[in-house]
Amino acid sequence: MKEITARIYRFDPEKDTEAYFDRFTVRVNEGARILHVLHAIHDTLDPTLAFRYSCGSGQCGSCAVRVNGEPVLACMEESQNNITIEPLHLPVKKDLVVDLLPTLETIAFLKPSDTIQMPTKSDIDMIKPLRDCIECLCCVSVCPAMDVTQFLGPTAMRQEMRLALDPRDHGDRILDAVREGLFTCTSCQACWKACPKDIEIPSKAIEKLRALADRRGFTIPRHQEVAALIRDSGRSLARIEPTFMEIINADVIEPPGEVRATVGFFVGCMYNMRLPKTALDAIEVLKRNGIRVIIPKEQVCCGSPLIRTGQISFVDTLRKRNIDAFRFRNIDTVMTMCAGCGSTLKNDYKTPFTVMDISEVLTTYGIEPPARLPIKATYHDPCHLLRGQGIRDQPRELIRQVIDLVEMPSICCGSGGGVKSGLPDEAAALGKRRGDEIKKTGADMVISSCPFCEFHIAGHTDKQVKNITTVLLEGYKEKDRKKDLAIVS
Amino acid sequence: MLADDVVDCHVLVIGSGGAGVRATIEASHYGDTVLISKTIVGKGGCTTMAEGGYNAVLRDQDSCGIHFEDTLKGGAYLNDPDLVNILVKEAPLRMGDLIKWGAVFDFTENNEVAQRPFGGQRFPRTCYAGDRTGHEMITTLVERLDSSKITRLQEFTVLDLLKNGDAVIGAIALDEKGHLIVLKADSTILATGGGTKVYDISTNSSSGTGDGFAIGYRAGAEVIDMEMIQFHPTGAVFPYDARGRLITEAVRGEGGILLNNIGERFMKMYDPERMELSTRDVVARAIATEIQHGRGTKNGGVYLDVTHLPREQIETRLPVMLEQFLKFGVDIRNQPMEVAPTAHHIMGGLRISTECRTTLPGLFACGEVSGGVHGANRLGGNALAETQVFGKRAGEFAGKAEKRIKKVDEGQINKQQDLLDTFLTGSENPAQVRTHLQRAMWQGAGIFRKASDLNKTLETANNLSFTPIKAESARNLAECSIIRNMCLTASLICRCALIRTESRGAHVRTDISQTYDAQHSPFSHTFISQSRHGIEKNVGSA
Repeated sequence: MKEITARIYRFDPEKDTEAYFDRFTVRVNEGARILHVLHAIHDTLDPTLAFRYSCGSGQCGSCAVRVNGEPVLACMEESQNNITIEPLHLPVKKDLVVDLLPTLETIAFLKPSDTIQMPTKSDIDMIKPLRDCIECLCCVSVCPAMDVTQFLGPTAMRQEMRLALDPRDHGDRILDAVREGLFTCTSCQACWKACPKDIEIPSKAIEKLRALADRRGFTIPRHQEVAALIRDSGRSLARIEPTFMEIINADVIEPPGEVRATVGFFVGCMYNMRLPKTALDAIEVLKRNGIRVIIPKEQVCCGSPLIRTGQISFVDTLRKRNIDAFRFRNIDTVMTMCAGCGSTLKNDYKTPFTVMDISEVLTTYGIEPPARLPIKATYHDPCHLLRGQGIRDQPRELIRQVIDLVEMPSICCGSGGGVKSGLPDEAAALGKRRGDEIKKTGADMVISSCPFCEFHIAGHTDKQVKNITTVLLEGYKEKDRKKDLAIVS
Repeated sequence: MLADDVVDCHVLVIGSGGAGVRATIEASHYGDTVLISKTIVGKGGCTTMAEGGYNAVLRDQDSCGIHFEDTLKGGAYLNDPDLVNILVKEAPLRMGDLIKWGAVFDFTENNEVAQRPFGGQRFPRTCYAGDRTGHEMITTLVERLDSSKITRLQEFTVLDLLKNGDAVIGAIALDEKGHLIVLKADSTILATGGGTKVYDISTNSSSGTGDGFAIGYRAGAEVIDMEMIQFHPTGAVFPYDARGRLITEAVRGEGGILLNNIGERFMKMYDPERMELSTRDVVARAIATEIQHGRGTKNGGVYLDVTHLPREQIETRLPVMLEQFLKFGVDIRNQPMEVAPTAHHIMGGLRISTECRTTLPGLFACGEVSGGVHGANRLGGNALAETQVFGKRAGEFAGKAEKRIKKVDEGQINKQQDLLDTFLTGSENPAQVRTHLQRAMWQGAGIFRKASDLNKTLETANNLSFTPIKAESARNLAECSIIRNMCLTASLICRCALIRTESRGAHVRTDISQTYDAQHSPFSHTFISQSRHGIEKNVGSA
């Protein structure tokens, strides 16, 4: 037996004006789940504690709650000591019981055709991964787009795609999905990471539906313009100023001292064409730490703006050009500093080389300690770095060497998935929420590691927004300044 | 007093598992249909948890005759042959409905519904969707329900049936806040599922509390064979708080083997021919015996091992098992599972005709709450088929029934209100009563039984039913009424187990020796109603 103390969200709409937390301590057996803690509280301490459960084995989707902020199935998640248990982000009926019905009712159902065309095994194999959903609504609880738009949500899209794949259905799933907010998804992937069944809704449903929608001409005009630009120029942005690659004007950048590693640099459209200064800062940091950087000029857009918006016809060409650009130089490690490019190369390409984010490169080889700067900063996790590449600790490890870090919840800023260009109002609404979170931290600065996030957040906060490498470079400059002062004095 | 809310409909369906939802879909063709459920429709009941499969004769090499024989043999010849005949003939048709409505069953390379072997069957006739077959079915059925015009009352708890003379005319229920509502119906269908939650170790969902047996019995319906409890051979033993969780028979169907703590494949001593794929009663007793004789694991189970199977087979055919065990720290691709028997299914239940009519006019029953289909032991894969075959029939015949005069007796409602008031003024913790009952049933009415234990357990269940349990608030009234149902269901199990003075199928009386085999038993169904009880004699037997 072991003792578990849990803080539990309480709210009875018939009695309480606002929610509060109760703290309970109970004894449960080794290996007990969150559900068993709730049972123990209900059975021995407070029979009025309300929570929902049914199967107790992860198959019915009744018992999802948030534990320390993350949605989980109570019956499957092992209970730890000192936890906070809250309801999902849905209307609360009482305590941990939320109203699932309004959302469940929006999920589409199959409309059988008059003449049944049976699915084939390959249809079945395509549908099955989308069929594991137990409608627990963990995904709905974390979806940022649903907070600020009329989007029906991740599992509704999953179901539309499941139906679109089924020859027995005769509904117009593409039109329905578009009407239900298909293009409002920022591709933040929070739904996938929250899913107890690990259903890859963004790539297996939303991007697939967008590709089908593209064939029907539903793609947002602004996204079509981006696609045309990529087809014409190989880049998702128009040139308005000298690019990073023009400024640097070199294939290889040698560090001054010992060469500790060599990487190919996949620059990405944003750093190349809109934030060249940030990319130059990164080069300085890499040079200082003995990393040789090769920059093949033939590289083009990674294709992310096309894949996220379902305009996939040109993507194979981009893939080939990019892979060839690095392969011909025998590069075995390609470094990205744009979270979106990195996620695309890692997840949407089959590369003959290893892809690493710059934070992985710097933490793998280790960096010279910079001077500490007297500022407090918060870090915004780029969705395509945190969820797209599973990188949480490395950026923090770097940041903590130079400044004090205060955390904030990891939520999408609204710039991804083509939303900033296609649905600017939604992007602004999410950006504002991000601005509010930043304000709450009391930080002087926001650090991130994605050009889209940096660019977008800068429009929604009065704090300065900087890339990790820029902050590291400032730390080195401060270090050098102090050293110079010491010499002078 | 009359409750504030009164619902009037043609067919009232109680319970939202596979049988209840199927019945609702069917009944909706005939008139206003209301589906009332303790849980959210699609999330409650045991169908959604059912992993292994659905038995249906689909191939030329197989036949309904063989399915019939397998079912009777597996059921120790206690099954009602007319019900079995309907089961085997209509299971393929109802499978066709599911496929038509969009069910995503696994297919073969020839684009046919795939089938796998299950215990006690001479042909691999168990259709499946990985190991989430029941979930696939209920998802399909609920989608179909979404396109039907019916009313759902979700998270409502039925307390009792309403009677007008002998006839059932609806039910009295509580909403989630504890308010009484009255539901009047020309026909009422009980589809409340099973009740092995009356045991300490059970596979059932939160709704498997035996409410339907208790509600039916209190209304005057006759129940049969309530002693026939299926102990599934393979339930989880760790973590302790999740004990009893089902490990699907599909694990053995796919080739999993059972080993004791000295690495012996012990089924060779109990059923050398069928080995791990013997019937559930045989395998459960074998495992229980191994554990009793000290050949169990440290956590009190035996090993169920699939490590010799290709990893890909485990990943694609048993994904839920793999995922669940990984969550509990065991990678079944590399390590054996630990399993022990767990109370799974109640073969007995309300006596029904082939049209799902109970012994009370106006009351129908289908699915696990009814008795007679599975006899003394159910074959794996026959329960999901039963939900569809008899769910459809119950919905159809209830729907076709004539309108009825539904005069509500206020006295009945007042009596309910009085009972609820006693809960509000009670003193004892209901959770303790529940735990006490579950432990007593596991010890005294489990796999191996004798009269002295059964009498003691019956006394415990009866005493517990009189405990003045306390509802802390109106929202807790449902919980109290459910515990009352559990006590009654437990007592019905004990009483039938005492009446059946033989060992048969899942029912083993260690205090009785017998010389005949199941096929030559002098006995047929046990039966209990408020007016009579006993055991039927087999015609032609000695």
